[in-house]
Amino acid sequence: MKKLWILITIVVIASFALYACDTQAPETPEEEPVAEETTSEEMEEEETEEMEEEEEEAEVEEPGEKVQIRWFVGLGAGSDEPTFEPQNAFVERFNASQDEIELVIEIVDNDVAYDTLATQIAAGNAPDIVGPVGIRGRDSFKGAWMDLTPLIEANDYDLSDFDPNMVQFYQVQEEGQLGIPFAIFPSFVIYNKDLFDEAGAPYPPASYGEPYVDINGEEKPWNIETLTDLAMFLSVDANGNDATMEEFDTENIVQFGWMNQWTDPRGIGTFFGAGSLVDENGDAQIPEQWREAWKWTYDGWWEDWFIPNGVYGGADFLQGPGGPFSSGNLAMIHMHMWYVAPWALGDVPFDWGLAATPAYEGTVTSKMHADTFGIPKGSDHPEEAFQVLTYMLSEEHANELLTIYGGMPARLSLQGDYFEQYEETNFPDKDINWDVVVDSMAYADKPNHESWMPSFQETTDRYNEFWNKLANTPDLDVDAEIEILLQDLQTIFEAAEEIEE
Amino acid sequence: MALVEGIRNLKEEKPKIRKKMSKREKKEARWGLLFLSPWMIGFIAFYLLPMIASLVFSLYDFNPAVPDEATFIGFANWRRALFEDQEVRKSFIRTIHFTAISLPITLGFALFVALLMNSKRVIGKNLYRTLFYMPTMIPVVAVVLIWSGVLNEQTGWINIFIEKLTGIQATGTEGIRWLANPKLVYYAYTMFGLWGIGNAMIIFLAGLQGVPTELYEAAEIDGANWLTKLTKITLPLITPVIFYQLVLGLIYSLQYFLAPFVLNSGTGFPEGKTRFYMVYFYKQSFTFFNMGYGATLAWLMFIVALIVTIILFGTARYWVYYEAEDLQ
Repeated sequence: MKKLWILITIVVIASFALYACDTQAPETPEEEPVAEETTSEEMEEEETEEMEEEEEEAEVEEPGEKVQIRWFVGLGAGSDEPTFEPQNAFVERFNASQDEIELVIEIVDNDVAYDTLATQIAAGNAPDIVGPVGIRGRDSFKGAWMDLTPLIEANDYDLSDFDPNMVQFYQVQEEGQLGIPFAIFPSFVIYNKDLFDEAGAPYPPASYGEPYVDINGEEKPWNIETLTDLAMFLSVDANGNDATMEEFDTENIVQFGWMNQWTDPRGIGTFFGAGSLVDENGDAQIPEQWREAWKWTYDGWWEDWFIPNGVYGGADFLQGPGGPFSSGNLAMIHMHMWYVAPWALGDVPFDWGLAATPAYEGTVTSKMHADTFGIPKGSDHPEEAFQVLTYMLSEEHANELLTIYGGMPARLSLQGDYFEQYEETNFPDKDINWDVVVDSMAYADKPNHESWMPSFQETTDRYNEFWNKLANTPDLDVDAEIEILLQDLQTIFEAAEEIEE
Repeated sequence: MALVEGIRNLKEEKPKIRKKMSKREKKEARWGLLFLSPWMIGFIAFYLLPMIASLVFSLYDFNPAVPDEATFIGFANWRRALFEDQEVRKSFIRTIHFTAISLPITLGFALFVALLMNSKRVIGKNLYRTLFYMPTMIPVVAVVLIWSGVLNEQTGWINIFIEKLTGIQATGTEGIRWLANPKLVYYAYTMFGLWGIGNAMIIFLAGLQGVPTELYEAAEIDGANWLTKLTKITLPLITPVIFYQLVLGLIYSLQYFLAPFVLNSGTGFPEGKTRFYMVYFYKQSFTFFNMGYGATLAWLMFIVALIVTIILFGTARYWVYYEAEDLQ
């Protein structure tokens, strides 16, 4: 009996010992200040040395055996079922193209992708490439991405074909170059031509700087005030009254005029101007223009009734494959390029067009989404992963992926005939005004509305709770709610700072 | 008394256990342990080690996205959970509030249905039993989604039915907003639970069928009405079953998670009312990636559930009636 217990104990201890030998020892905290004192050149050298060591480790592969590179998809585009087949085909083409690397794709549903990736990283089983991933996805894993600068330099990778602003877009303070531009998604207004025709209203301006000519032929600047009037005129109740009329029945609205579809308070705030919830000292702030945007939206929900509030959001007449706009009962939305895709607008029973983003107090801000691919720090084969990355982003192959994900190329050389090809592939029977998409790039938000905040997810959670309350509760004192939000955000930021210390 | 007697017997048997085992006994013991070992290994690998690991995690600032940066912080997580983080207290109070509404209604309804199913006067009892049990077969996620449609403020048939029946405006922005009104949301969630009373009903029914019929016959001869029979015979004799259901129901309620998570991804909507303790634990661990703090919250809930269960068992002697004890 005693012997048996001794045997079991030995087995358990041995398994612990084996596990411990297999696990990387965590870095000691004392090492960090030393790293801080080193110059950026020294750091780069160290990183290059580290990578060389890793390369040497990676080289201990069996001769003739391919290095397996795992590509994790799910944090952004690419987890929708129709994209599976073309992504797999891309992987097959890559694998057929050379004999040193085997690319393995792991597509994870977006709902569980964050947890799955976190678990993989924590278990020391990080994938080698993650993407496409937006700013939000990237910042949810702050500290987990590899600085690509040494790899870019070691491979003499040419960045001249990208807009320097877009390259800078992926540079994060204290973390480095976390991505190379791949796809960009400017935003603009999308409108339902049929609803405009039915109301007899002229379409919104097709280019920036152009005024709006209203139903009476009067020219008006294309700004928030004009948009509000137009959106109210296009909001209709069951009796055919519009929201500008006194007899408008707010309990029986059947058509709405406007929505900043599928965005959050930061996105809606940015509609009135770029800003951040974090000030230069790291404290919480609510930019003045964001307060105005939120109050404008709140009035649109509960006073002027031209934006569907929380109650109407669940109504049957606003459900469609691409959300409320594709239902055909919403006249205008502000949306990104990724929405102009067959899954959202391919089968809608109405005609639609693209228009300029309106100005707020003379300034236009068209928020930008951008996707890239990142290499996690835990990757066992960063050099090979970078080789795959360069293949994905190359002039020859980027278009294949861009067509799958519906992104506009970040490479300047690919932008020329991109829209022609995109329209031919996805909307062959339509004549789309793509100029407004290109022009919107000039009004991109800086800082980006999805940029980093302390305790990123917790902060997001808190402001979404605030937003849900506004969307579902009439007669609120919005200023008071904003102050409560501000205090809560400050508490979260301070707690995050304490943890970091 | 029985417990004291049992302990005395054990003490008396002690020397026997220490007796040297024969070769055959040793062999039998080895075989016994061998057959037990799959369970033991499973227990160690999938229960004991993860529990120990989570206890260790609770002493670390550990983000699974950057595991190399994990730092030992002693009892800082525990201090935060117990004294600093107001949301822990609030989410726990919400859980208790919901339990106080949901548990009596659910248990009461399950008992009521079981009493009906046990009645001599009900025709087609087997059919009803099957029908009441059937929703239990449906996955909880599907139940929640179905009910969210049923309770939809615009198109849900409950609101439409209320509006048609009473003329009160139940749909629209001024209507009954089951899932968006902080005062109604716990009742709405309780309604989801009522669909799953099948298991509780079956257990109550088994308890009811175990009550000796001669007691009812004797009571009827004495002129007892149905209420007297219910309160003086039925309920006292099924108190062990009620106790069992209460313990399970309480533990289940403390772990309440799925409905708020499926309906609103754990945002706490409306006004944080559905950010129950386990939702908050999930958010901290798997959304905010504060795995160390999440482990602390899990252990805290374990301790609370343990204390509540011990208290419940402590009260059992005052109200739970075990027939076997009387016979002894």
